[in-house]
Amino acid sequence: MKRKQFLALAAGAAAVPIISACGGDAGPARSTGAAVEGDIEPRTISWLLSRPANGAVIATMEEIAEEYAAEHPGFALELITTPDRPSYIQKYETLATADKLPELFDTDATPFAAKLAAAGRMIDVQDLLEQIGILEDFRPAALNYQRFDDGALHMIPLEFGVEVFWYNAELFEKAGVEIPETLEDMVPLCEKLAASGVTPLAVGGQDAWPLERYIAFQPFRIAGPEYVQNLKKGDAAFADEPGTASVRWLAALGQAGAFQEGFSSAGYADAQALFTSGRAAIYNMGTWELPNLATTELPAQMHEKIGFFTLPVTDGAATAANEFVAPSGIGVAINAKTYDPLVRDFLAFALSRYPEKYAASGLLGPTTIAPVTPETALPIYEQAVAMADDLGEATLMPWDTQLDPATNSRLQQDLVLLVQGDVTPEDFITTMDQTLTSNAPKYFED
Amino acid sequence: MLPSRSRLSVVLFLAPPLLLFGGGVLLPIIQSLVLSFFEWDGITRLEFVGLDNYRTLLRGDPVFWTSFANQLVYLAICLLLQVGGGLLVACLLLTILRGRETLKVLYLMPAVISTPAIALLFQRIYSFDPEGLVNTILSAVGLDSLARAWLSDVTTVLAAVSVPEGWRFLGLYTVILYAALLAVPRELEEAAALDGARAWQAFTRIRFPHIMPVFITTLIMATTYALRGFDVPFLLTNGGPGQASELVTTYMYKTAFTSGHYGYASTISVFIVLECLVAVGLILLVLRRKTD
Repeated sequence: MKRKQFLALAAGAAAVPIISACGGDAGPARSTGAAVEGDIEPRTISWLLSRPANGAVIATMEEIAEEYAAEHPGFALELITTPDRPSYIQKYETLATADKLPELFDTDATPFAAKLAAAGRMIDVQDLLEQIGILEDFRPAALNYQRFDDGALHMIPLEFGVEVFWYNAELFEKAGVEIPETLEDMVPLCEKLAASGVTPLAVGGQDAWPLERYIAFQPFRIAGPEYVQNLKKGDAAFADEPGTASVRWLAALGQAGAFQEGFSSAGYADAQALFTSGRAAIYNMGTWELPNLATTELPAQMHEKIGFFTLPVTDGAATAANEFVAPSGIGVAINAKTYDPLVRDFLAFALSRYPEKYAASGLLGPTTIAPVTPETALPIYEQAVAMADDLGEATLMPWDTQLDPATNSRLQQDLVLLVQGDVTPEDFITTMDQTLTSNAPKYFED
Repeated sequence: MLPSRSRLSVVLFLAPPLLLFGGGVLLPIIQSLVLSFFEWDGITRLEFVGLDNYRTLLRGDPVFWTSFANQLVYLAICLLLQVGGGLLVACLLLTILRGRETLKVLYLMPAVISTPAIALLFQRIYSFDPEGLVNTILSAVGLDSLARAWLSDVTTVLAAVSVPEGWRFLGLYTVILYAALLAVPRELEEAAALDGARAWQAFTRIRFPHIMPVFITTLIMATTYALRGFDVPFLLTNGGPGQASELVTTYMYKTAFTSGHYGYASTISVFIVLECLVAVGLILLVLRRKTD
């Protein structure tokens, strides 16, 4: 008797969340327009972050928050930081599922974020920026990086960068190689560099995204940005020409010994140290690392040797030489549920002051204000910054922000096998296409 | 029979832990069971799919079976290091006269270090460039041909992520088994020694049967813990390269929180519960029969 009662109670308790979730959508659809009426009531607002805790973005925003709090007593900006990106993503997705996201939260323009936007849970940022009157100040490339496929803008960019290939000119000379003109040139280049006793390409494989950049290069050059937009929905396949070319290229690089041994467990800082200590010849990295790569922070013997080149083209490329990865970092989304006059007023205040303050840090910002070159900068600092002003229309979107999570996760793990030669290109393509067809259509159906 | 007043106090004292156990352990298991019949991505509505998830699990998911095989290897290595190593160290502790307590504390210390610290420690130990502890030692003794990136080589990565977990709780099982060994009557062993029994015979015929109940318990503890082992492999390699170090638990976690397939992940979690029950049942069956 007692056991049956206990089981019935347990079943009832277990059924409660199911019933509540089945009982229709959670309330009426909220408006995602930026206009809101009412009085500004100061309170503490929270921002769920995935940025380095001592970085320029957080430092600048904290300063601005203090200024705002001085004029609006009772206001405080609480920062909840998780700099390790994979942990952050899981935290943010779990909070989103529980509908417990704070006022502001960081996200890339991923399919998951697109689902949140479709459910009306993020404020329309294009609308907000227009109303504040600062939309024109932003770099188009910075805004476009944050847009979803349908052009909707729901995240505010707070940084900007270009990703280039930093290289050690002395190691190039020793190996007798030149800057590659095409992507295909990179394979013999790496062979010669490896033969001269250095690691050709330093990559921090532990974070997964540094290696995942490489698979995006060939398709972007061969077919433009449309390939990954179709691939992610399952409308294109890895077996198509751009995909196959990319897979073969990576396998060739791996065979040429392009990446350092044990790269898949090399951390971000270790990979950078490999380059800055002169043991690796090339390092693909963005301009957010300028303070470490282009100032006197760089080890002294590298000052004269460091240079950079942008993503090489291919013969008959669909995209131009001035089109490559130019991300505007992880964007800030505004929770529609907790949006009120205070949040709007704070954002208007913050976004008007942010670009200039951030430029003082020396890093490229999301608006067209030129960053202040620090005193410790090497000549190459300004050269790299200048690249940001001459970008083409098309941007290479990193694949980890485009693919559905299951395919992306599989791709990241199997890329290591491909490069290490543990799996053939043909098997890799078959596996990835299988993963894609079983996950992509379901994820993107609406 | 107990007088009725005692029975009431028994119920009163048992009720809070039972409720906690029911609410904290049984309830989530039942919720997982229910959720395993649905498909849910966390944002849109629940979709009833019946036994589809189970069909996919049993017939259509090669990654799952790879992870299952990996988990068994992980289990074997952990048991060997934790229970086997623990028993060995406990026996050795009995042979020394001074410093037993100090040594026990030293062995127990890894169990109190936080998991991310252990993961970072072993990432450095296994590192190839900059050269980590393992590769440095191999070069020092002239075995540099064996030096490699232990966490990147698909043949060694699974063992490499299992060893930290084994090392971590070795001290715990040492302490438990040491206490059990202390209870073995010395006169029996002395008598056996007088009769000419060798150390190994004394161990298998006298010591081990005496500690059998405790040994069964530690084996069950270690087995269920290893079958649910997750944090160190996840932090070290996240299941890579490929699926070489993917465990059932890391696969389940990724299915739920990275891929957003909560229904299918619940199916995997039900499998883990059943797996633990079967393992414990097997241990009891095999070893209880020996003691009878």
